[in-house]
Amino acid sequence: MRAFLKHRLAVGGALITLVVFGAVALGPLLSPYSPTEMDFSALLAPPSFAHPFGTDSFGRDVLTRVLEGARISLCVSLAGASAALALGTACGLFAAYRGGLADSVMMRASDLLFSFPSFVLALFLMVVLGFGVTNIALAITLVYFPIFARLSRNLGAVVLTEPWVQAARLFGQSTACILVREILPNIAAPLMVQATIGVAFGIVIEAGLSFLGLGVQPPTPSLGTIMADGREYFGPAPWVITLTGVAISFALLGLNLLGDGLRDLSDPKLRSRP
Amino acid sequence: MSLVRPLFERSFALIVLGLAGAAAVFFLLRAAPGDPSLTVLGDNATPEAVAAFRHHWNLDRPVLVQFWLWLVQTLRGDLGTSLTISNGTSIYDLLAARLPQTAFIGVYSISIAIVVSIFAGTIAALQRGRAGDTVASSFAAVGVSMPDFWIAYLLIYVFALGAGWFPSYGYTSPSKSFIGALHSGFLPALAIAAPMAATFTRILRTSLVENLHKDHVRAARAFGHGWVHVFVHHVFRNALIPFVTVIGLQIRYLLGGTVVIERIFGIPGVGALMVDGAFGRDYPIVQACALTFLLCVLTANLIVDMVCTGLNPKARG
Repeated sequence: MRAFLKHRLAVGGALITLVVFGAVALGPLLSPYSPTEMDFSALLAPPSFAHPFGTDSFGRDVLTRVLEGARISLCVSLAGASAALALGTACGLFAAYRGGLADSVMMRASDLLFSFPSFVLALFLMVVLGFGVTNIALAITLVYFPIFARLSRNLGAVVLTEPWVQAARLFGQSTACILVREILPNIAAPLMVQATIGVAFGIVIEAGLSFLGLGVQPPTPSLGTIMADGREYFGPAPWVITLTGVAISFALLGLNLLGDGLRDLSDPKLRSRP
Repeated sequence: MSLVRPLFERSFALIVLGLAGAAAVFFLLRAAPGDPSLTVLGDNATPEAVAAFRHHWNLDRPVLVQFWLWLVQTLRGDLGTSLTISNGTSIYDLLAARLPQTAFIGVYSISIAIVVSIFAGTIAALQRGRAGDTVASSFAAVGVSMPDFWIAYLLIYVFALGAGWFPSYGYTSPSKSFIGALHSGFLPALAIAAPMAATFTRILRTSLVENLHKDHVRAARAFGHGWVHVFVHHVFRNALIPFVTVIGLQIRYLLGGTVVIERIFGIPGVGALMVDGAFGRDYPIVQACALTFLLCVLTANLIVDMVCTGLNPKARG
């Protein structure tokens, strides 16, 4: 913990992430506007004290919409990344433990998923599953799942040869017990780093899909749909798309810095570096 | 000669992955909800028309038979016809017209990313801990955190609407005018390149810093080799392997990025075609585009593998 507090980037990332989560959780409650409330007396109003991010073509407060949209984007991305983490780790550890055919099949399947451009895979899955919030989370899960599967399989294979794991086996512990109690804690740190970056990645995928109109469907706000809206009146009101983009980048920056920092800390070789 | 065997092995793996990918794409799309016959003919189609449509597209045959027929057809280069675009345009023709545009933008953006990252990464590594490093590393951290479509709008705002140096929409095909393509493709390529350049810079910096203090580098300096010579031959060359590997890994993101960027800038490429296909539930188009992207990634991986094997004497065996 002390090492974490000394790592400036990790602390910065954690602070930004906390601010983002806090704003997203509390923002819609504190905002005097509703994300769908229209005000025809203030169409495309530039940023002001009353509307810090300005208003859109329906006179809706952009900041409120961004906070509400970010809540949806974050939920989708968190759900997708967590599912990918759980599923990928389970598959990867199983492959590492069993070896042989199970291992080969699992790894070739992840090779295959890896061979599609990530966004193309997500787009393809949206066509198969249909557009909508739950399906974006599913698509993020499938796109990110092979990363966790591979990582946990490779890390697990190393830990499996450790003497204490052999000892646990000789003591007659069950497979599940060995995997969860002996192996999982030893590979958790790199997995958490990857999960942090996975949430950032999920936000980008969601925003991209919704931006194209293939993800979250209006009038539900999401970071992608708000930017797609902003594109329509980019000329007269550039602040909508610009400030929404700044908000996305801020959230991504926090998650990426946190992920990088955690990675440095979990790797003793890198710990001495700035 | 030593490259022949790995080339052969990896080409075989490429074919197997390609076939597995084709099967995955085919069966997943068949499992998709929604009936393409209703999409094309409209909800009021008579049962006879639907039956005729299903028969024409082999949709009434067992799914394995459909797959076999489709695979044989595809291997012969016949990708079928579009369900939605101007009454059955040949998909092969569509792809043949669009793949060069996507390939051009892809190569253009990766070139920008490589050039920028070699400069930025080298400066950051040499200035480690000083101003140059801080600037390059901060730009890299911010660049990684900006989705490409958002960078695209910033670029349009500043360089197209503001300065008026580049067009904000539209694209000249390189077959018409190469200079025109370089000019009109610059902003889209830059938008895709920016996050990649950031990633490359970080990897190159780390990799260079690691190599700068290795024993063989010190030994080469002790032998009296010039500093530039040592850097180029002993540090940079060794740092290139992780760099090239990461470039290979990023090709997936690059091609994914073209999908959104092509839509924004109105580039008639494969990505834009796939999005149109997705909107129209035009399964043959979506299928063909997904496979085209798969083949691009597999081919690019093969090239990167070969370059890495060529760079690394140990891997050559």
